[in-house]
Amino acid sequence: MIEQILAAGVILTTPILLAAIGGLVNRQAGIVNIALEGKMLVGAFVAVVVSSATGSWLIATLAAALAGMVIGYAFSLSITRLGANMIIAGLGLNVLAAGAIGFIMSIAYGSSGTLRLPDVALLPRVFPESVSEVPLVGPMLASLDPLTLFALVSVACLPFILGATRFGLWIRATGNAAPVVRSVGLNPQMVQETSTAFAGFFAGVAGAQLALASIGIFNEGLTAGRGFIALAAFYFGRDLPWRTAAACLLFGLLDAAQIRMQTVGLPPRLIGALPYLMVLVALVVTQARSLRRVK
Amino acid sequence: MTNWLERGFGFAVPVLIALVVSAVVLLVIGENPLDTFSLMLTEAFGSPRRIASTLSAATPLLFTAVATAICFRAGVFNVGVDGAFLVAGLAAVVAGFSLPAGLGWALIPACLVIAAIFGAAWLFIPGWLLARLEVDEVVSTLMLNFIAVAITGYLVNGPFLSEQSGNNVTPRVHEAAELGRLMPPATLHGGFLLGLVVLVAYAFWVRRTPMGLEGAWVGLNKRFSRAVGVSVQRAIILAMVLSGVIAGLGGAAHGLGQLHRFTDGFSAGYGFTGMAVALLGRNNPVGMLIGAILFGALASAGTTIQLFSNIPLDLVNIIQGIVMIFAVVELGRITIRRRAKA
Repeated sequence: MIEQILAAGVILTTPILLAAIGGLVNRQAGIVNIALEGKMLVGAFVAVVVSSATGSWLIATLAAALAGMVIGYAFSLSITRLGANMIIAGLGLNVLAAGAIGFIMSIAYGSSGTLRLPDVALLPRVFPESVSEVPLVGPMLASLDPLTLFALVSVACLPFILGATRFGLWIRATGNAAPVVRSVGLNPQMVQETSTAFAGFFAGVAGAQLALASIGIFNEGLTAGRGFIALAAFYFGRDLPWRTAAACLLFGLLDAAQIRMQTVGLPPRLIGALPYLMVLVALVVTQARSLRRVK
Repeated sequence: MTNWLERGFGFAVPVLIALVVSAVVLLVIGENPLDTFSLMLTEAFGSPRRIASTLSAATPLLFTAVATAICFRAGVFNVGVDGAFLVAGLAAVVAGFSLPAGLGWALIPACLVIAAIFGAAWLFIPGWLLARLEVDEVVSTLMLNFIAVAITGYLVNGPFLSEQSGNNVTPRVHEAAELGRLMPPATLHGGFLLGLVVLVAYAFWVRRTPMGLEGAWVGLNKRFSRAVGVSVQRAIILAMVLSGVIAGLGGAAHGLGQLHRFTDGFSAGYGFTGMAVALLGRNNPVGMLIGAILFGALASAGTTIQLFSNIPLDLVNIIQGIVMIFAVVELGRITIRRRAKA
C-alpha cells in the first residue's frame, strides 16, 4: 500500500513541482504569479492537441512550454510596462485562459468540457517495466516519466543558478532592490519579464505532464487548483528550491493518500483543504517569529 | 467634473477593449459581431422578463462588488469575498431549514443575521492576521477561499446532505425563509432590493461617516493616518469585517432568494466577478451598480445566446478576464496602492 501511495504521490507531485519551480523564480524576481493555474491549463490543452497531431510527446511538451512562455511574457508586460496590479491581472488571466480554451474547444472541436483526440502520444517511462520488482520504490521507479526527471534536475540546478550565476544574482537583486539593479545599468523590468516567461515555460511543461502522464485526455477541470497549490508550495518553502520541492512532495503525497484515507472514513474534501491550511499556519508562524525578533 | 470624466474613462476603456477583442474573436469564427452584440443587447434588456433575469444575475455581484470595494479603498487587498459568500450562504441556508418554521416573518431576518455573523467571522481572521501580524492578506484570503470550498463541499455532502435528492445539495429552506419573487415567474427576488440597500448604505458610509473617511485615509496614506491619530489596525479589521458582513448577506440572498438551498458550486465565481465590478466602477456606488448590471447582462444573455447560435458561453469569460486585466492596467497607478514592502 505504501508503495502505491509513493508511486501515485510522485506522479501527483510533478506538475505541482514544475509549476512551483517557475513560480519561485518569478517571486524571487519580485512577481507573485497568480496565473500559474491558467498557464498550466493552456499547457495541458496545447500538449494534448500537438501530441495528437504529431504523435510525439517531446514536441507536444515543447509546444506547451512555448505557449506558456509566450503567455507569461505578454502577461508580464501588463505588470511591468502598464503598471497593472499583479494579483488582479493574474486572476484575470486565469479567467481569460479558461474562457479562451473553452471557446476554442467548442468552436474547433464541438465539445464542451472534455477533449478526446485520437493517437495522443503519452509520456514514456524512464525505466523498463522490470524495476517494479524492486522493493518499496519499485512501482514509483516504474512510473517515472522524463518530465519528473526534468523537474528533479531543475530543482537540483536551481540553488546553483540562483546563488552562483550572474543571472541568478540579477533575479534576486531585482526582487529585493530594483533601484540598485537599475543603478548598475541593468533593466529590472526586463529581468522580471524574463522570469515571468521562465515561470510560463515551467507552468506549460507542468500542464503537459498533467495531460500526458497517464490519460491523454484534456478536461477543463484538469488542473483543479494545482497552480494555486504550487503557489502555496513556494510560499511554504519560502522560495527556496529544496524546501519548495519538499512542500510539493508533501502536498503530492497528501493528494495520493487522500484517495485511500477515504476508505478509512476520513472525508476527502477536508483533506483537500490541508495544503491551504498549512500555508496559512506557516505564514502566521513565520510572521509571528519575525515580529518577535524585531521587538 | 473632471473626476466624473476620469471615472467614465476608467469604466469605458476596459469594456471597449474587451468588446474589440471579442469582436475580433467573433469575426475569426465567422460571426457578425454587430449582429451578436445587438442580439445580446435584446436578450439582456429587450423585455421586462429579460430585464428581470439580467437584474437577477446582477444581484450577487452587487454584494460581492461592495464587499470588495470596502476593502480595496482601505488599501486592503482582500480576494476572499468568494469564501465568505460560500460559508455565510451555507450558514443562512442551514438556518433557513433547521430553525423552526413557526418563526414566520422573523425567519428571514434571523437567517440574514446569522449569515452576516458567519461572513464577518470568516474575514475577521485574515483582517486580524494582517493588522496584528502583517500576514499578507492576498495569500491568506486566497487560501481561505479554497478552505471555504473544501469545508462547505464536505458539509453539503455529509452532515447537511438532503435525504431526498441525491448528492451535493442541502434540503430546501422553509417557505417562510424564501425571499419573495418580485416579478414571478422571473427569478428576480427580494435579494436585489437588499443589494440596492447595501449599495446605498455603502455610499452613505463612504461619504457621510467619520469611519468611512478614515478608511479612505488608511488606503491612501498609512503614515498620514497614523500621524492624525487614526488607528490603522482598527480600520483594516473594520474593513475586513464589514466586507464579510456584506459578502455574507450576499450569500444569504443567493441561498434564500435564488436557489432556496445550498449546492456544491454555490458561487459561480461571484467573488471574482465582483472584484472586476469593483475595479471597473472604481469603488464608486453608481459605477458598481452599472458594472454589476453589465456583468449580469453578459451572464444572462450569454446563456440564452448559446442556445440560439453556435457562440459558446465562454465568450463571457473572455470578456470578463480582459476587463479585469485592463481595469487594473488603467487603475494601477491611480486608485489602488499596494502598501510598500516592509
